[in-house]
Amino acid sequence: MASPGGQGGGALSTRGGGGAKRMKWALELSLGNTRSRGDRQGGQGDVVYPIGYSEKPVPDTSIQETDKNLVEKRCWDVALGPLKQIPMNLFIMYMSGNTISIFPIMMVCMMAWRPIQALMSMSATFKLLESSSQQWLQGLVYLIGNLLGSALAIYKCQSMGLLPTHSSDWLAFIDPPQRMEIMGGGMVL
Amino acid sequence: IFFTGLSPFLFCRRQQYVGKVRFAHFDTHVQSSKKVVVATEKNVFAALNTRTGELFWRHVDKTGSEGNIDALLLQGADAVLVVGNGRLLRSWEVNIGGLNWEILLDSGSFQSACLVGQQDNVKYVAVLKKTVISLHYLSNGHQKWIENLPDSETVDYQAVYSGGNGEVYVLGVVPHSHIAVVVYSVDDGEILKQFSVEAAWLSNIQTSCAVVGKGMLTCVDSTTLSLYMLDLHTQLQMTQLPLQTLGLEVDPGFHPTLVSTQPNAARQPLSEFFLQLGPEHYVLLQLNNGQIVTLRDFKPAMLVSFATTGEKTVAAVMSPKNKTACGLNLFSADTGRRLLDTTLIFNMDPYGGKPETLYVQAFLKKDDSVGYRAIVQTEDHTLTFLQQPGRVMWTREEALSDVVTMEMVDLPLTGTQAELEGEFGKKADGLMSMVLKRLSSQFILLQAWVSHLWKLFYDARKPRSQVKNDVTIENLSRDEFNLQKMMVMVTASGKLFGIDSKTGTIVWKHYLDNIPSNAAFKLMVQRTTAHFPHPPQCTLLIKDKDTGLATLHVFNPIFGKKSHITPPALPQPILQSLLLPLMDQDYAKVLLLVDDQYKVSAFPSTKNVLQQLQEMASSIFFYLVDSSQGRLSGYRLRTDLSTELIWEVVIPPEIQRIVSVKGKRPNEHVHSQGRVMGDRSVLYKYLNPNLLAIVTESTDSHQERSFVGILLIDGVTGRIIHEAVQRKTKGPVHVVHSENWVVYEYWSTKSRRNEFSVIELYEGMELYNSTVFSSLDRPHAPQVLQQSYIFPSAISTLEATLTEKGITSRHLLIGLPSGGILSLPKMFLDPRRPEIVTEQSREENLIPYAPELPIRTEWYINYNQTISRVRGIYTAPSGLESTCLVVAYGLDIYQTRVYPSKQFDVLKDDYDYMLISSVLFALFFATMISKRLAEVKLLNRAWR
Repeated sequence: MASPGGQGGGALSTRGGGGAKRMKWALELSLGNTRSRGDRQGGQGDVVYPIGYSEKPVPDTSIQETDKNLVEKRCWDVALGPLKQIPMNLFIMYMSGNTISIFPIMMVCMMAWRPIQALMSMSATFKLLESSSQQWLQGLVYLIGNLLGSALAIYKCQSMGLLPTHSSDWLAFIDPPQRMEIMGGGMVL
Repeated sequence: IFFTGLSPFLFCRRQQYVGKVRFAHFDTHVQSSKKVVVATEKNVFAALNTRTGELFWRHVDKTGSEGNIDALLLQGADAVLVVGNGRLLRSWEVNIGGLNWEILLDSGSFQSACLVGQQDNVKYVAVLKKTVISLHYLSNGHQKWIENLPDSETVDYQAVYSGGNGEVYVLGVVPHSHIAVVVYSVDDGEILKQFSVEAAWLSNIQTSCAVVGKGMLTCVDSTTLSLYMLDLHTQLQMTQLPLQTLGLEVDPGFHPTLVSTQPNAARQPLSEFFLQLGPEHYVLLQLNNGQIVTLRDFKPAMLVSFATTGEKTVAAVMSPKNKTACGLNLFSADTGRRLLDTTLIFNMDPYGGKPETLYVQAFLKKDDSVGYRAIVQTEDHTLTFLQQPGRVMWTREEALSDVVTMEMVDLPLTGTQAELEGEFGKKADGLMSMVLKRLSSQFILLQAWVSHLWKLFYDARKPRSQVKNDVTIENLSRDEFNLQKMMVMVTASGKLFGIDSKTGTIVWKHYLDNIPSNAAFKLMVQRTTAHFPHPPQCTLLIKDKDTGLATLHVFNPIFGKKSHITPPALPQPILQSLLLPLMDQDYAKVLLLVDDQYKVSAFPSTKNVLQQLQEMASSIFFYLVDSSQGRLSGYRLRTDLSTELIWEVVIPPEIQRIVSVKGKRPNEHVHSQGRVMGDRSVLYKYLNPNLLAIVTESTDSHQERSFVGILLIDGVTGRIIHEAVQRKTKGPVHVVHSENWVVYEYWSTKSRRNEFSVIELYEGMELYNSTVFSSLDRPHAPQVLQQSYIFPSAISTLEATLTEKGITSRHLLIGLPSGGILSLPKMFLDPRRPEIVTEQSREENLIPYAPELPIRTEWYINYNQTISRVRGIYTAPSGLESTCLVVAYGLDIYQTRVYPSKQFDVLKDDYDYMLISSVLFALFFATMISKRLAEVKLLNRAWR
């Protein structure tokens, strides 16, 4: 806080407030500036902008043509992202093995969760791809990539034996059969 | 909810018994001795502490006639026993129970034994057998001499007597002819005298004669109603003295007996003796210079006994006072005068038996008067130790040494609830009264619960040591996990006991008199405690095996009180009973009784029950096994409560006999319907609730031809599911049948070892019908797997653990003759144990096959507490799935808990509650504080 009145005001102010100091006097040179802005800009507070200076950057319109290609490329990047991850996932899958322990399970969870998350936020991705001309194709590729990712996760679950596909997985839910006959007896007492 | 598991020793409790007392002697050789030495019908020789009733030591001999204790003679600190019908002569040191010596006697059936003394010094023991008499030194058991008895083919020698004058008298009888007396010299066994006296009326010396005074053989004859006397020294004619001349009269039909005493074996017997004239009539007589004098007439008198201290001999007489109490008095033996201040009141247990035998220990008080203590043995095998003036020091329930059958019954929720059950157990009709009844009972429950909580709170503040664990009817209530139950035990003597399983306290006892000696018992729980306000109800079926007639005893298992429900009279002999899962309107399960005409009667037999029975009749089946005829037959109930025979299997009794039949326990639950294979498919279990395992043994006991057979048969259809024969084996066979498996144990005569065999039944990879099981609709035979193993010990009993839901793995509880109880995991008895280990079998956790079953010391569930002669093991589920309650009974009773799959539902006892809760609280507060701090910080930043 380097307001000019601060030097003398220290001795004059009787109320020792922490932040909210009342100034004895202030000289405002630039008309457009509010006090708060002057505060924020610190030392530039009393500098007057030259004429023609705009605080907003002026958009550059000279490279519009190449940008279009870039957007396309960028959109393809987004669309192909899930597919590109598959080899990586395959490698992780191979490395983590089929034993059931905390790390492989975490990996599988991550592998399964990421495509699902992506599929759930599909509309957001579509919005991203809006500017592209091949929006639908890219969307489809993105979808396929994610589906492949989740299929891979399911396959991993299957190979780890986490899927309830065997009859033994449902064994605990079989109720004991109801008894139709009542029988008793024994040796003649 | 969890609770802390405590040390296993807290939950196991052993009680040691000795059995029905046959001989008892107070140890008097030291003044301060507090021992009573007993020999029992269970072939047990023990010393009891007279202060507490506990055992000082106990020696358990072989069962049966081999270990039978024929005689017990106590001399000083030595107790001489004749064991096994005169097979062995043993001397025990009474103080510590050590064996002084043991010698093998010559063969021959034992008749009598007595101590022989000379010049006030008892040095020998004489043993009389059928044909020989032998004299042994008391100090080392060596034989001094042995003599053949003259004319032993014709004369039946029955008694031996010594009066301390260097002569041993052997008394024999030729029935209905004469008495033969042979006198031996103690020094060398030479026959000093031999004479016979005419006595045509005499048949048994031991029951009707006694030696009194200076060698006067006194006999009483019930036909001529007179006393006969024979002086053994002068060997004159027998003198007859009709009882009428003494002014005595014998009760009609009563066989009079004599009670005499010989306080010191080196001296002559006392000249005073009791003559019993009727069931409750005794006379104290004195032999005075060949004349009989009546000293005192005791009528009524139930029991009499002599006791000696120093030079004084007293007679103790027990006489009835009123219906519930008896009076015990001391009388001077030589005058018949009543001694002052010697009355002792014995209050008879209204649920006990009548006094049977009296053992009295007399002692001299400081003022030279005679004091005494007494042990009263009652018909129900109870020993009661009494001290003046009528204080019961202890009681021992020796009937518990012979438990026949038992059940465990859940305790009611609170004691008050149980007490009120009786009041609210009455029937209520109409909607309004039903509602009121329901409301009132709920209110009572609430009240009881609140008071229970209050008590818990109150008790929690007391230090642990002050909280008493006495169990009374008031504080008898179910604990949180139903670990405490009531053990209802039925003993062979006909006494019923209710024992609290937690503390081992006998809560109630009830003696049923008129129980035939060879009765068969069957105990059934008709109503559990779950149906408040109806009281729980147990029914005991007692069948006399001779007549076949049966009676029912209906009682409340918590209090032992006889129920007010009158059981039906059963005029026909009863063959079997069958407890149906059907209930009447009072929630009592229906008991069906099958008589010898194969007609069925129901108990209770209200209209409601009969209607239900009619509806259900077509699905009620029962089977009967007659082992004498080798006949297995199945019957179906008709609607008119008659039956029709639907199947019959005959096992020829001349080749093999049926030893046992085992069905499944009705309260058994199987959680898993199949087994998971290594490839994650399922092998479904064949869970036929109607399956019976029938064990047969060959009648031919030759070791090459004997065999044991097992037959699995469906009890409804009679279809034989499986049959297996083990050749060159013999019994006794022990079987357990549970879930889809049968385990049995036998002796292999070929390999001379004990073997276990297990049969498991599987339905295959698919279930035929997963919703209902009907024996009538089972087209496919199950797959049968069997494997056998070697077991390194003989076994005495076999049982399987049982849990609430059947999730916990099963163990087999094996009672060993050594007194241990082994908990063997069923996993070791699995016919799928592979010989070659594969990936799949490893996946299934199958143990590779090994022929020997191990016995690991940590499998003994009773640690060092040996249980003698285990005859049965009873298992019951508790409220905790991991815990199974176990009671082993035999001579001893042992109660414990087992955890076959460890205590998976219970926190460990070293669980650190303090640490964990403090960490939790600390974390909680830390979160709260940091949340607050974070908020403040955010606010500050926003202001900036």
